[in-house]
Amino acid sequence: MPILQRWRNVLLSLGLCGLLLISSGCAAKPPSPYAQVQQESTQRGAPKAVAKTATQGSEFNRFFPKPGNGFERVYTQEKKGFAEAKLKKDGKDMAMLSISDTSSIPAAAQKYAQSTEKIAGFPTVEVGTTQTGVLVGGHYQVKVLSRNPSFDKGDRKEWIAKFDLQGLSKLR
Amino acid sequence: MSKPIFELVDELPTGGITILSLRSLDFVVPGQWQNLVGFNNTIKAVTGETDEALIQQIGERAVQLFNDKSQGYQNALWLYQTVDSASGALGAAAMANKVGQDISFLGFLQNLTPKPEKAQSIDLCVKLVVELVAFCQINGIPGDSIGDFLAALGDYSGESLMRMAALVCFDGLVPLGPDFALKGLSTLNTMSPNDLEHNKTFNGVKSLIPGGDSAGQLSFITSSMDSVKGWMTDFVSSRGVTPEQVVDNLTKFVEISKDKLDYLGAFLDMTCNYYTHTGTQTLARRLIERAVAEI
Repeated sequence: MPILQRWRNVLLSLGLCGLLLISSGCAAKPPSPYAQVQQESTQRGAPKAVAKTATQGSEFNRFFPKPGNGFERVYTQEKKGFAEAKLKKDGKDMAMLSISDTSSIPAAAQKYAQSTEKIAGFPTVEVGTTQTGVLVGGHYQVKVLSRNPSFDKGDRKEWIAKFDLQGLSKLR
Repeated sequence: MSKPIFELVDELPTGGITILSLRSLDFVVPGQWQNLVGFNNTIKAVTGETDEALIQQIGERAVQLFNDKSQGYQNALWLYQTVDSASGALGAAAMANKVGQDISFLGFLQNLTPKPEKAQSIDLCVKLVVELVAFCQINGIPGDSIGDFLAALGDYSGESLMRMAALVCFDGLVPLGPDFALKGLSTLNTMSPNDLEHNKTFNGVKSLIPGGDSAGQLSFITSSMDSVKGWMTDFVSSRGVTPEQVVDNLTKFVEISKDKLDYLGAFLDMTCNYYTHTGTQTLARRLIERAVAEI
């Protein structure tokens, strides 16, 4: 290696070290764990959070389980690609019921590829400690999410089966 | 472009006059409001999940949803922030006029209401409409019927219910008296679109109020007020809340003495921030509820 180039490399690495020192010394707080997603979702031409082709939430309402047996159902959100209702008993929140269109987040559908169990013929997975989901028709995700310790995995499976999953699977 | 949602939630205050004055309303909606702050904290509290990787995943989806302008979340935040700053500025200006006058305890009540009754009535109604519009921007119009939609509205709890308590008490009951809802409505009924155009609070948020022109917006505000006046009146009567109780409690939480006028001015400014504070909390909760269900 010619001596000039070697010197250039040395100088360059010294410069980089200096930069690192300066920047780490000046940074008041570590970057947020959400800095990257913030940047990606706000830059020019960023992909939309909800796909243009996603089904309207209003299309999902009729597939939700009916209230009864002491359970009250309150619809809480209805957005493009998403609808959600709350399940209450004796005035307390017990669970959330939701249907979403996974065309906006393909990873949400992909996780069902590892599913080994089925509910009413549809692949099911557990997410975290509070959620049970099924994938219907390849791209609609139905979830029941516990909001009370007394509403357990068994209850979640039972309520998932109460959705009109067959009907939803035919929705285009 | 708004600040990132995670920063807004991380930076929510845990002290100060907004927080104290909201705490003073705990007697109206007991145990409903815990002042949940911090983005990851909120994710944990809302979802009950504790796994760090899962929390990160939920948070990332919530950030994406907030940043997609077509989803309406940024409109809702803007409404909450703008209705606060517009009405706050009016309060502060009116307050400055009062400084220097002798204040007895009853005078304190008067000083809490420096705006003319008409302006105060319009403020109350505009803030209520902002709540309705922000609700729809965040949640859509849930369900298939008016009944479903009203049930969604009736399901207010936590910070949303606290915001309504503050609206009813600080912007209704205390400045306008027990028949505040009727007063608000009758003000609207005798008002021209031109009057509305001169109201600062309305002007701040008018671009997102349905109705087209100011005549249409006036009629939208009037019909909204008409449909929730029963709920508001019932809210006060079923809880037996009086203006005196509200002020009494407030003075227990916020150090306001009769001879410290500058405190009052500050207080008035700060109480006006309750929409931004609890509105940010509501928005974060709804984003997280959607994010966790979608991932």
